[in-house]
Amino acid sequence: MSSLEADVLVIGGGSTGAGVARDAALRGFSTILVERRDLADGTTGRFHGLLHSGGRYAVKDPSAARECIAENRILRVTAADCIEDTGGMFVSTPWDDPEYGDLFLEGCEATGVPAEEIPAAEALRREPRVNPEIRRAFLVPDASLDPWKLVWGCARSAEEHGARILPYHRVLELEVDGDRVVGAHVRSEHSGEDLRIHATVVINAAGAWAGQIAELAHCKVNVRAGMGLMIAMNHRLVHMCVNRCKRPADGDILLPLRTACVIGTTDVFVPDPDETEIRQEDIDLLLDEGEKLVPGFRQARALHAWAGVRPLFEETAEVAETRDVTRSHALLDHSAREGVAGFLTITGGKTTTFRLMAEAAVDAACLQLGGPRACRTAEVPLAGSESHVLYQIGSRLAAREPVPRAEEIICECELITRHRLEDAIKQRDTTSLDDIRRLLRLAMGPCQGGFCIYRAAGILHAGGSIDQAAANRTLLDFLEERWKGLHPILHGDQLRQARLDDWIFQGILDVEHLPA
Amino acid sequence: MSYDTLVVGAGIAGLTAALRLTEQGQRVLIAARGVGATHLAPATIDVLGYLGDARVESPAGSMKALLAASPDHPYRHIPADQLAASLTWFTARAGTLGYVGSLEENMLLPTALGVPRPSALAPQTMSAGDLRAGGRFVFVGVKGFKDFHPALIAENLVRAELSQPVTARAVELEAPPGGLGDLSGRVIAGRFDDDDLSHWLAGELVNRTEPDERIGVPAVLGVRSATETWGELERTLERKVFEVSTLPPSIPGIRLYEAMARALRAGGARIVHGVRVVGAHANDGRIASVDVVNATGTVSHPIGSVVLASGGFASGGLELDSFGVTRETVFDLPLIGVPTTERVRFAPGYFDAQPLARAGVATDDLLRPVDAAGRPVYTNLHAAGAIVGGAVPWKEMSGTGISIATGYAAAEAILAPATLAVSEAVR
Repeated sequence: MSSLEADVLVIGGGSTGAGVARDAALRGFSTILVERRDLADGTTGRFHGLLHSGGRYAVKDPSAARECIAENRILRVTAADCIEDTGGMFVSTPWDDPEYGDLFLEGCEATGVPAEEIPAAEALRREPRVNPEIRRAFLVPDASLDPWKLVWGCARSAEEHGARILPYHRVLELEVDGDRVVGAHVRSEHSGEDLRIHATVVINAAGAWAGQIAELAHCKVNVRAGMGLMIAMNHRLVHMCVNRCKRPADGDILLPLRTACVIGTTDVFVPDPDETEIRQEDIDLLLDEGEKLVPGFRQARALHAWAGVRPLFEETAEVAETRDVTRSHALLDHSAREGVAGFLTITGGKTTTFRLMAEAAVDAACLQLGGPRACRTAEVPLAGSESHVLYQIGSRLAAREPVPRAEEIICECELITRHRLEDAIKQRDTTSLDDIRRLLRLAMGPCQGGFCIYRAAGILHAGGSIDQAAANRTLLDFLEERWKGLHPILHGDQLRQARLDDWIFQGILDVEHLPA
Repeated sequence: MSYDTLVVGAGIAGLTAALRLTEQGQRVLIAARGVGATHLAPATIDVLGYLGDARVESPAGSMKALLAASPDHPYRHIPADQLAASLTWFTARAGTLGYVGSLEENMLLPTALGVPRPSALAPQTMSAGDLRAGGRFVFVGVKGFKDFHPALIAENLVRAELSQPVTARAVELEAPPGGLGDLSGRVIAGRFDDDDLSHWLAGELVNRTEPDERIGVPAVLGVRSATETWGELERTLERKVFEVSTLPPSIPGIRLYEAMARALRAGGARIVHGVRVVGAHANDGRIASVDVVNATGTVSHPIGSVVLASGGFASGGLELDSFGVTRETVFDLPLIGVPTTERVRFAPGYFDAQPLARAGVATDDLLRPVDAAGRPVYTNLHAAGAIVGGAVPWKEMSGTGISIATGYAAAEAILAPATLAVSEAVR
């Protein structure tokens, strides 16, 4: 078995883990990150995409609100390419108590979240599709955040500073020597090869899976999985992140995400973070809540549904309602808790505060690595965001327009050219269309891969990165995976699209009878 | 202007019914929201390709087994001799497209992924791709054309289950002169029509293929003059050449649409696109007139008969709303194959049997949509094509076969009501 050495081993490739790896690498520690699947394949890649202003927590969870606004300001500078400055608006619909608006303003004032009330007519001018019956409206600096860009930006930054990022490496055991965790035994999910990683400090950043990792060192982390459902709609029904002005509840956020918009979310405890079943009644709940925010929502085209699991940390397991759990993060030093040195857990929190969580974790790790070193992540931009220019909708089109016929567009929905696809294949060294999807947003538009997936499989194969059998497998895997998020929302025009895709894949290409 | 029959939909089913009626002297109006599945599907005539997991060798010979397994299947209303007659009729009408094949034995034509796909009939530009006799195949891609990946086709094809051995290899040509960039099938087809590419292609292939190889090219050899282009390629190269269908838009399907639309117009039928049929006025269980919405308003057409060929979910003939209610969109007809609200509409696995897959109207033997008691909803309304429930055409490979058979049968029912009424009484 081969082995690697590092100062810091990070377990988990979501925003927290990638943020920790980057932070540690920027402070000069040799760092390795392992993730059992692809980066941002867990909670981070499945959240709604809201960069919180803190407004959502201003009344109920003031410390979370303060963290959000501080991080919001930092990320707009350091992770600019991942953020679209959509702005946010809290609205009182006829279902919401307009007096909550006063509490909301007080909470924002107390926590430092900039909030400004505007007349309902002005709100409707800015958001013409929002329910014309709204009574109050408040502007806040919410924004739309691309989780994949964020995580890959962190990972590349970490690599530029010497870190090794190992997706598809599952932790089998933590290695314990006396009262210390000294590393981990991991297995590559691709090659099946085992690897020993020796590290001075192991940081458990496995989010909702952090309890499972902690158990490997006989430590107890009571993190529960709060499942949240999201539905992507085919158009930007709103330009800003529109929130209901009331105590946080289900289905009260609708935000633009590139050319689509996303409604979220629900919050249900699930016993196993890997078991997220999308129930019809939750879909209906979101559609009904969407209808309250944007009349006609049920007739709009739903593209895809997915569920993510929030890591909800509690010292005791006595909380019945997930929304009552604080959304602040938890840093657990297992030497203080259980007498296990060299092992930290960072969990809870939310994507907006990932950088702060990483800073806290690496600050604690420093104490076991010879003393404090200054955190630099609040100043140094992520890879891809060096120019500090915020992402703008339409930038891909703008880049292509001057030379419209220069090369093939493989995915017309997301404007992905052949070069971009080929570069991504090379860069990721991947054999999976789903990995490419997360990197480029391939197949995430209206046709959900109906046209581009055949092309991408052909290009992957022709480029020599996979043989015929693997090309067939990744194509079929993709169709199965895509269906999971499609069938719960299929109606109207998206069912029509799905049936066209059935004709393409089954009727025209006959993928069901591909050889192995 | 009054019409004998209104046909709703301009896919193969509607075109078939309309052309048959026009030929027999009827004045026919085709009202369609747009073109139909011709522009999407390969233009092969697929009567029955699969029964469950098993590939069907003879559509005619497997019909009994199909109806035993799928008792609501549209083919149950089509007597064997009428199915054969409809295909013979179609083959004659498709004229220069030169459809070959038979109901007795499926051809096996490679898909753009190299899967041998069963079809009863195919245009002659595709027929040399028939894999049943085995042989040596070469697939030709063109740089800049993203909808055809010859290496993957060839490598899959040599692993396919075939009774005779095949070999296959791939050739990738540089983009044609002046053709850099994002080439769509439609653009390439246009250049073949302008006779801009035939010599280029022949020149590229002559030294890169061998005389006993059959040459598979993407199905983009032109819309207007594909048969001539194909014939000239075969003559110049002295090799067999065949087209392979790929992603939409389907160039062979556009040819088929154009051929049938030409015949219809020549016969005096009227085809109107961009309109929506929104309902009927009935007397004594007969449709007396239909309302057609166009850009300027609603026009009511008095009508003798109606053929509903509006397609399934893919074409807008059926709709499912966000509350789980499925509707037939033109006349709000009763449906079969629709799970009740308690049952799931979609199975969790993509390739599983999908509960909503067979949704559509049920009909009597005159292809008239019937209610739950089996009575025709209107005595002069007939259905054809994908709106008829009971089939899963994209899995069975039965879509164009059902469309031609039911379109033809609906026309026959309209043309011979007296005879059929007698046979119905006897039954």
